[in-house]
Formats: sequence, C-alpha cells, structure tokens
Amino acid sequence: MLRLGIDVGGTNTDAVLIDGSRVVAATKAPTTPDVTGGIVTAIQDLAANTGFDPARIAAVMIGTTHFINALVEADRLAPTAAIRFGLPATGALPPLVDWPERLSRALGGHSYLCHGGHEYDGSRIDDFDEQEFRAVLDKAVQAGARSFAISSVFSPVNAEFEQRAALIIAEELPGTPISLSHEIGRMGLLGRENATIINAALRELADQVTTGLARSVAGAGISAPVFLSQNDGTLMDIDYARRYPVATFASGPTNSMRGAAFLSGRLQCAVVDVGGTTTDVGILQQGFPREASTDVAVADVQTNFRMPDVLSIGIGGGSLVTGDAGAPAVGPSSVGYRLTEKALVFGGDTLTATDLAVAAGLTEIGDPGRVAHLDPAFVRAALDQVAARMAEVVDRMRISAEPIPVVAVGGGSILVPDELAGASAVERPEHYAVANAIGAAIAEVGGEVDRVFSVAPNQRDAVLDEARQEALDRTVAAGAKPGTVRIVDVEEVPLAYLPGNATRIRIKAVGELSLGGDDA
Amino acid sequence: MATDLSDVLPRIRAEHVDALAAGAVLLGSGGGGDVSVGRQLLHRLVRERPVELRPADELAPDTLVIHVCLVGGPDVISERLVDPDDLAVAAQAVVDHLGGQVGAVGVLEIGGLNGLIGVLAAARLAVPVVDGDLMGRAFPLIDQTTLAVDGQAITPMALVSPAGDIVLMTTGSARATQAILTSTAVAMGGAAAVALYPTSAATLARVGIHRSISACIALGTAYLDPRATDVRAMVGLLGGRLLFDGRVDEIRPRRGTELGSVTLADPVSGATARVDHRDEFLAVSCDGLTVAATPDVVVALDPSNRSPLRTDQVRLGQPLVLFSLPSLHPWPAEAAPIVGPARFGLDLEPTT
Repeated sequence: MLRLGIDVGGTNTDAVLIDGSRVVAATKAPTTPDVTGGIVTAIQDLAANTGFDPARIAAVMIGTTHFINALVEADRLAPTAAIRFGLPATGALPPLVDWPERLSRALGGHSYLCHGGHEYDGSRIDDFDEQEFRAVLDKAVQAGARSFAISSVFSPVNAEFEQRAALIIAEELPGTPISLSHEIGRMGLLGRENATIINAALRELADQVTTGLARSVAGAGISAPVFLSQNDGTLMDIDYARRYPVATFASGPTNSMRGAAFLSGRLQCAVVDVGGTTTDVGILQQGFPREASTDVAVADVQTNFRMPDVLSIGIGGGSLVTGDAGAPAVGPSSVGYRLTEKALVFGGDTLTATDLAVAAGLTEIGDPGRVAHLDPAFVRAALDQVAARMAEVVDRMRISAEPIPVVAVGGGSILVPDELAGASAVERPEHYAVANAIGAAIAEVGGEVDRVFSVAPNQRDAVLDEARQEALDRTVAAGAKPGTVRIVDVEEVPLAYLPGNATRIRIKAVGELSLGGDDA
Repeated sequence: MATDLSDVLPRIRAEHVDALAAGAVLLGSGGGGDVSVGRQLLHRLVRERPVELRPADELAPDTLVIHVCLVGGPDVISERLVDPDDLAVAAQAVVDHLGGQVGAVGVLEIGGLNGLIGVLAAARLAVPVVDGDLMGRAFPLIDQTTLAVDGQAITPMALVSPAGDIVLMTTGSARATQAILTSTAVAMGGAAAVALYPTSAATLARVGIHRSISACIALGTAYLDPRATDVRAMVGLLGGRLLFDGRVDEIRPRRGTELGSVTLADPVSGATARVDHRDEFLAVSCDGLTVAATPDVVVALDPSNRSPLRTDQVRLGQPLVLFSLPSLHPWPAEAAPIVGPARFGLDLEPTT
C-alpha cells in the first residue's frame, strides 16, 4: 500500500512516497504562496523519479502550517461573530476580551453574550432564550459577520445550548459556517472559546485551501482520499479539515518528531529539527511528542490546546554568520528560503551557517571552492558555538539527568555535530531532510474524551470503562480500523476543592487509518 | 511606625499585575487554583483605577477590614469565570449585617487565585487593600488562618452566586462554618464569592501576616526576571531552598479525603523523593527524611519551561525541580494542629 506524505512548510514543500514501512522516494520543492503549486511540483518530481502509478496510492497525508500563518499575519480572516451562552455569569470577561487589538479588529470584533450555559453537574445556569439569541444573530449579521463561533459554559458537560444555536443559525442562514466550542476545545471557557473563534475566522480560508489541495491531488491523477495532520500527530479527512482548520496548528513540529521516531526506530529521544531559520527541539516519549504542561498562546491568543513541548532557537541552515574567530555570531537573522541564491557556496554574497558546514567538510553541496578562503579557526569557533547552543537546548528539554539520544532531522541538520554534550548518541537517519513529510505519511487516527464525570462510590471502574469505550468509538468514527484502536493516555483528576464525586477524565485513543478493502 | 517602607508599593498598578499573579502561583504551593482569570480581570480594573496598598499598621486602628475570596473548584471557575460585582455584593452583605462601612479589603490567602481576588474586590469597592494576608500561602480549610489561631471569629460570612443568591451566616463554629461554606458553594454550582473574617486594622496589625502582597509582587518580579536562565539560578533568585531534582516515577491521585502523592527519582544518584498533596503540596520527603512540610511553601517547577505546576498538572515521566520558599510568617508552635501536617492526617516529623 503506497502512501503519499506531503509537508507544506514556509520554505519548502516536501513529499515522500512510503510503501508499508519503506521510504520509496522523497523530494523537495519550493513552497508557492498559493500552497498548491509546490504540491503539484513535488508530486511531478516524485512521479518523474519513480514512475509510480497514481492509482496505487491508497492515501495522501498533508501537513501544513498555512492556517497558523494566516492567523499570525491576520490575513484572509472571515468577519466572525463570537456568541457565548453564560449570563448571568461570565459577563465580566466577554468573548474576544484579551485578544490583541490587531487580530480582534481583523475579525470585526463582534462579541455577544446570551443567557444560559450549564453548571458542572449538567443543570442549567439559565434557560435558552430563543428571542434573545435571534436578536443577537440579527445584530451580528447586520454588523457583517459571515462566520459564527458559539460557546457555552460547561459545554463539554452538556452541549445543548451550542447545538440549539447551531440549528437556529442553519435555519436562518443556510450554509453559514458555524464553529461550536464543545467540538473544538477542552474544559476552560476562555481557552476553548478562543480556539473556537480562531477556527471560525479561518473557515473561509479553509474552504479555499482544502478545495485547492483536493484539486491538485486529483489533478495529479490520484483518486485516493486526502487527509490533513492534526496537532497531536493524528489525521483528519479533508471535509473535517474544512470545518476544523484550527486542528492543524501544531502539526509541523509534531510531524517532524513522529517522522524522526519512524526513521530512527527510537521511541524515547530528543529530536533536533534544523530548518532554514530555526532549530526546534522536542522530546519523544513512547514515540509521541511530549506535550507542554501549561497552556499555549497562539499569535498572542490564549488557547487550551495541548501542544507539543518545543523549544526553538534562531539557528538554521540559512542563519547569517558574522564576527571573528574570537567572537563569532550565528543567527538569529537568516536568508531563509533564499539560501540557494544568497549563500556563498551557491554563488551568493552572504556567509551562512550552510557555508560553515561546507567549509568544515561536514557536507558537500554547492561549490566548496567558494568557501576555501574562510579562516579554519573562525569556522571552527562558529560551529562550536552552534553546537554549544544546541546542546544547551537539548539539556533544558531532556527529562532526566542521564544523557539522552538525539535524532537530528530537517534540511539544516548537517549543523548538528556528531557529538553533543549531554547526548548519549547523535543520529542522523536516512531521509532526515524530509522527516516531517514522513511524519505526515505515517500518521494514525485519534479520538478523545475530556469531560467531568460523576463518579459514585464503587463506580469508578464502570465510569472509566464508559469513558474508554467512548474514546475508542470516537476513534473508529474518525476513520480508524477497529482492530487497531488502542488507548494511549488516561488521566483522571478529581475536581479540586470540591467534595463529592466530580472527576475530570481525559482519555485518548489512536488507531491505524482504515482504507477500505485493501488494507493488508 | 519606624518600619522601613522603601520596598512597599503605595499602589498596585497595571504593571504590577503579572508579577502579583506569578508570585501568587509560586506561593500557592501547587494549589490555589488558576490565577489567569483573576489576572485578566485585575488588568482591566486597575488600568482604570490603581488600588491603594496599605500595611495594616498604617490604617486607622478601628478601620473595618473585610476579607474577600472565592471558594470552589478551579475547573468551575475556569468555566463560569469571576464577576467582581459578586465580590463587592458579598463584602456589602457582611457590612450591612455589622453596620458601618468597609474601610479596606483583606486578602484571605496570598497563594493562588485568591491572592488576586482580594485586590480585585478592593478595586471594585474603591477602597484600599491591606498589604498582608491570613495564610501566607494557599490552604484548603477556612480556619487555617492567623486570625483563627488567635481565636478570632470567621463569621459573619456571606456567600454570593452569579445568579444573585446570597447566603449570610451570622455566627458559627469553625467546623460548622467550613461545612456550610462547602455545601453552599456546591449548591451555588461549585463556586461562590465569599466575604468573611471581618476585623479591625488593629487586630490585623497584631496577628495578620504582614506585607505579603509586596512580598508576592517582589517574588513574581524575580520569577519573571529574564536573567534567571537556569532553574538553579532561579531558585537562588527567589531565595528558595532546593529540595530535589528528578523525574516523576509514580502518581497516586487524591481520592476524596485520602491524600495523593507523587514519587520522584533521580536516575543518576538513585535518590527518591515523595511529595504528599491534597489540593496543595503538603510535604516533601527525600529517601524517607522529611525535608519540608506545611506550612512551608513547596514549589514544583518544570525545568523545561520553568513554569510552576499545580498538583493536577504533574504528569508521569515529567522532570521536576522541587524547592521551598522562605516563610512569610513565623507561625507560633500552637498553630501546628491547625496548619501543620497533622491537620491533613500526615504523621511526619519535619527535620528542618
């Protein structure tokens, strides 16, 4: 079974063809502003190199940073109305309250409060006031809103208000994009609501991008289903991605790390991913990226997504190199995607980290003669500095005092030295430059439950079983092969400072992607 | 009145809020809830009107001080949020019962969200906040205060729900007050705004914990200092005492009143540590020796991003650096049954 994995990065679009667990071919093409151009070129390259039969491809997996970039740049965001059910509670902090001015303006800043929502035990804070909601809806439409983000207090416990609101919007404004907070975020109203608003603002762009992706894959003669990779390294189909673009946000670093695990066969290690501008360091545990223990801000907006725990420093293959042997300086400025025209070895006029690597004989690319004049002492000192800073980040990320194996991936990973202080081994696996596309290609399907359950005495096992079953069912519903689904994470936390039985249970399951008849 | 006030702020302004919140997280000893909702509200309120910060001994001795806090589950508060109006209504309900008027608001506990809630109430009521608190950290029980140790009454106490329900308890024993507080908060949806411990500035000057808001802001400022590049440097900058550096080996969650615990191991030396917790970290034992115990403040820092973790944020396999912070208050020996390990059912003999 052939899988095509594609990673659309800011600089390069990488593509790999995988047969079972074997990498058949890999390629890199420059990313184009419309996203799809780079994909088309990459698929053409692969076809030219291998002559693969498009009909043999069973699935296409795409990882893209496009949506998070659009948010960061406040570009092509839909005018969005944020409507919350929570009154008479929550009024002191209305939706959009802590957003950066620039972003909230880009959305139109439409924020509304209605009565309702639930308590933690599932009882209503207030009844659904249909008249009130319809009036808010009218106001939002008149203000120009084209996408709707609906949140409700404790909607992970009871989604009734969000669902009723969605029915009314669908009836009044057929075809309008609706994002419901209980389908997007976890417990914690503001973080969940913010993620929902971000999602709503990206819905129009998601329509365009997913349509473009599907069209360019079909245009290459591939009729297989298309999936996008999510923050946790699992997959969603293209229709789901159209409705939940926000779920792609952290897929970049996750895919690199999952790809590194696949290529190196290591399940516990540090992954050093060196790109053109930055080096990202993360930790793999049981083959999955360690998640950040605290909430993560995206474009200065607080969300409660679980993101991989990644530390970045401004060193990459395109980093500018200045100073002298006594005090070399590498980065954080970078020539970025213009490496192949700017770097000395490619005939340019700028000294980059890649030139250092060529001068030191670490790699053979471009014209080594163009860096032969560099003072070896300076080259050594600058590369030592790169090594020291990478070692420092690995040291900060590692989970024990023991030295940890390091897997280096990414196009710039020639900069990672063969020995790194604090590393038990440094490994640069084959196909290291396209680890992220490989991570996309091998991704599985996931499902999750995160809710407050009432656990009566002696009922704990039954409640946990119920939650486990729900996570398994969700995973199968998301497209996993039933026999392969397994629980990967169980968390059980009693609500603090409250007596009684309320317990927050979070269970995550994953399984292999089901591709119909020819699975074997 | 010859105290050196050079490091006492006259007012809490918007630029102090992040440091206050960061300090309150550290002083929460792994509990006290999530400060983020309080931080956002306080930013909004003090931007318009800074809050006057006054040590108890600088207020007129007969000034009526009401303590204001939230009780309930952090998960409830993170959904239903906090309304400063509810805090003001609770304080007013106590004053209406007593007669007179609110002269200042007191902070019940400097650790966690409640470290900000008293300031928030003072901002909303436009009165000064007393530069002090009653716990010196976060504690789960309402009588774990310097005032209770001194025999002062918790009541009259008022609880307010977002729906506008008000419950006033005019008088009661510590035991009944705790039970009524908890059950009323549950009836109010799992959290409530509370005003209690009405007292005088003179009493606070005698038995309150002094300058804890200033100390909290100073602690938070040191924590946010970008110069603390590694964890050990940060522990030094905070004046902390390093207890253990290792990885989480085992987590036994709290069940009902039964305490939970976290076991850590240092893979190089083979040393192990055990942290007992209820809603806060209560004690740390290294290789069987108790090296810190309540009322000591214990901080568990994730060294990868240097953030202090609450008891519910600790995960298996995670690296943790444990340290204790200098005490804000010299608890007298007779306070041990109220704030010491025995109060939580821990049979420990601290060795420090």
